[in-house]
Amino acid sequence: MVIGRIKIRVPSVIKKGEVVPVMALVTHPMETGLRKTKDGKVVPAYFINDVDVFYGNDRITHCDWTYAISANPFISFYLKADKAAPLKIVYKDNKGGVYQQSVQINPR
Amino acid sequence: MEREEKELALTRRAFIKSAGAAGAMFLMAGALPSLARPALAAARQTESINDVLKRQYGGRKINMSHVNINAPIIAENGAVVPVTISSDLPMGKDDYVKSIKVYADGNPEPYVAGISLTPANGKAGFALRIKMAKTSNVRAVLETSKGKLYGAVKSVKVTIGGCGG
Repeated sequence: MVIGRIKIRVPSVIKKGEVVPVMALVTHPMETGLRKTKDGKVVPAYFINDVDVFYGNDRITHCDWTYAISANPFISFYLKADKAAPLKIVYKDNKGGVYQQSVQINPR
Repeated sequence: MEREEKELALTRRAFIKSAGAAGAMFLMAGALPSLARPALAAARQTESINDVLKRQYGGRKINMSHVNINAPIIAENGAVVPVTISSDLPMGKDDYVKSIKVYADGNPEPYVAGISLTPANGKAGFALRIKMAKTSNVRAVLETSKGKLYGAVKSVKVTIGGCGG
């Protein structure tokens, strides 16, 4: 599994000023640090703990996560599409990994 | 530990035959101590949901209105419980929902996620998938920019825990 592959989905046609849903999915194991393998070793915690959403230059949404988020985290939130700008989502995990992707929002 | 699990399996079988619900309870009771292993005990200290809310919000009153949690009544797999939080609270320039916090009462750490929003979101709402260790309540607490708290609670039944127990 590739860790940190991101898919972002926005409606194909967006009217200016419209509030649209945004969906994002990232591949990540999200290990809790509580799980043990069969031989009794604890699998170390490895999870995304910080998510930032930027619309243009503004940070519009921020998530502070714990290990209690499911593997391959899915999020969905709203965006007020009032300008043509890229929407960028940045994920950071507890081992220093940074994964990001952006989509262009072009309201008409 | 090995032996305990074997015994557990045997009694579980017996239990399920006589009373399914009691069997499930017994299984859960067996799964929990393994979460609180000594090596992890310090880092994974279980805190009750009331303590968490008290620590995060002081004694402030949470209005149980304007918030809706959409989650399954029965989650087959506790590792993936889809939760959607929506609200009809305004997202205006000076009065908006600035944060949503999500809790699962039965988890070793009840605090699951915190989400900060801005007026640029246009609408207060968020969906995510969380892990739940056992059957418990899922809570959401919304804080507005004016400092008011709104919340909702929904009970979710979990048949298989999702925290590696």
